[in-house]
Amino acid sequence: MKFSLFSVAVKNLKRKSFRTAVLIISIGLLVSILVFGASFILSVGSSIEKASDRLGADLLVVPSGAVDVASDVLLASKIKVFYMDKDIIQKVEKVKGVGKLTWQTYLASAPGQCCSIPPAEIVAFNQDTDFIVTPWLRKSLRRNLKKNEALIGYNSNKNLGLLNVDSTMFNIKFKFVGVLEKTGTGLDNAIFISDKDLKDIMASSSMAKVKPNQISAIFVKVKKGYNPKDVARNIMNDIMQVDVIQRANIGKRMLSTLGDINKIFLITILMASVLSIFLTWTIFSAIVNERFREIGIMKAIGAKGSHIVKLFVMEVLLLGLIGSLLGTAAGMYLSAFLSKTFALLRDLSATLTLTQRVEVVALGLVVGVGICVIGALSSIIRIKNLEPLSVLKEV
Amino acid sequence: MEQIALQGLAKDYILEGSRITAVQEVSLDIRKGDFICIVGHSGSGKTTLLSMLGCILKPSAGKVFFEGTDVYSLGEDALSEYRARKVGYVFQFASLLPALTAKENLLLPTLFSGMNGGGSAEKRAVDYMELVGLGDKVNAYPGQLSGGQQRRVAIARALMNDPSAILADEPTGDLDEETENEVMNLFKKINRENNITFILVTHSSELARAADRKIKMFQGHVEEIAIGA
Repeated sequence: MKFSLFSVAVKNLKRKSFRTAVLIISIGLLVSILVFGASFILSVGSSIEKASDRLGADLLVVPSGAVDVASDVLLASKIKVFYMDKDIIQKVEKVKGVGKLTWQTYLASAPGQCCSIPPAEIVAFNQDTDFIVTPWLRKSLRRNLKKNEALIGYNSNKNLGLLNVDSTMFNIKFKFVGVLEKTGTGLDNAIFISDKDLKDIMASSSMAKVKPNQISAIFVKVKKGYNPKDVARNIMNDIMQVDVIQRANIGKRMLSTLGDINKIFLITILMASVLSIFLTWTIFSAIVNERFREIGIMKAIGAKGSHIVKLFVMEVLLLGLIGSLLGTAAGMYLSAFLSKTFALLRDLSATLTLTQRVEVVALGLVVGVGICVIGALSSIIRIKNLEPLSVLKEV
Repeated sequence: MEQIALQGLAKDYILEGSRITAVQEVSLDIRKGDFICIVGHSGSGKTTLLSMLGCILKPSAGKVFFEGTDVYSLGEDALSEYRARKVGYVFQFASLLPALTAKENLLLPTLFSGMNGGGSAEKRAVDYMELVGLGDKVNAYPGQLSGGQQRRVAIARALMNDPSAILADEPTGDLDEETENEVMNLFKKINRENNITFILVTHSSELARAADRKIKMFQGHVEEIAIGA
């Protein structure tokens, strides 16, 4: 390396390798918490928003009191069932502003009793009216499902590898003939059948809790020029047995829970930041005290105040940058690791976009380096204005 | 014409509420190429005077003219440049930066003065290391050098920016007799061949005998100026 102030800074840091390592690890730990927290909040928040957008319906009509359960099924891949009378479809169709609609019926698989597959949400959908499932099938299956054929969600296929395998569901053999593309919603973890198979299922197994003429949810697209909010109100006014969720409100409960987690992360990050600033301040005060003589010597042989400041700033920036890079990598790894083990993240298929990743990395670097600079600032200002001999005499 | 002129130079310190006068009313002319020793008892003000000459300690009163420039009227940055380009300072203690090799310690003043371009500084550093007899220790760290060797590296460092004057505070203070003679011969050689002014603070009568002028300090005053050995 060419001899320069930068190479001097590197050598100074290398010389006290243990102390340098302690500072780097401290900054790294702080940044990893920050990056993990930011990744968590961003990925979960945007996954909920994206998931509700990707459902393809403006309104979701569910049995009265089933709003949260429906959100759990559609966003968090929870295995839950709820039912309402099928004749509600006709009632909803008649409501002013309602355009296209389709419906689904949910079943919970019962492994070891009537099903050879692991626990899963089984979605019976109406192929003639569907606009929820079909858009995710364009690549893998370009026809309607035949009798006793099933589709498998993206994650279910990845986890179970059931494609082209015969499986028993409610004592009936089904063949998996297609895989849905990744939707980023609860549909990724479900299994799909035609609602025409429901009759046979109900006849062959008492484990399917659904009764004839029952459905679980109606998905509604509002007519052009109508406000979904007004149409939702119309449905609620006309049909007492249902609740209506607007697309924008799907996952609202989760987002509010997320808000609390968000606060916990923020408080943790704030406390860790204060601690890191204090640590950097303590260590840099010690470094400056210990290097008073060196500073004096450098000034006596011609160093300007700006040379000394540059040298210390370089050391601080190097520490901050290395710590931040390591912390960012650790935080990213942690969030990737926990996204597979944390139920909330796993169920939501929460992932960050490239832009979000860049934002999180930038945040980690800015905060890590910023904390080092703030912590070292008073020490740097102190050394800038010292006279050479006064520095030498203090040794 | 004198290279360095001191006019009424004084330095006071406040110590535990009392004013201590370290140097008072020193006026002196030094010509280019002079070899001067400042002698005196401990506490007589030798180091303080040298520090003011080297621009590392601001006087309480008086002026230091270097080649006609009133150095303490200069701003901070200009004063740093003066220290970097005009003066080579050798301290009475180990003054090498421990994280840097001997050669890098030599390169440090050139980094501050901006005279480090084109690889000539590296060559000069090696040349000066050879001049002080440490050509084989170019890449050694201070911790790998003896006290005498460190002192010689510090002398080589003082020469790096081709200064007009070398100021050395007890340069042979902790050296054995043989090394002291080596250092003294080196100073005389540089003084003679490069016409560089030398101002040394010393307790060594050997070194003082080699000086063109001997300035004896007593309680902050110049008590006596002796010319020749």
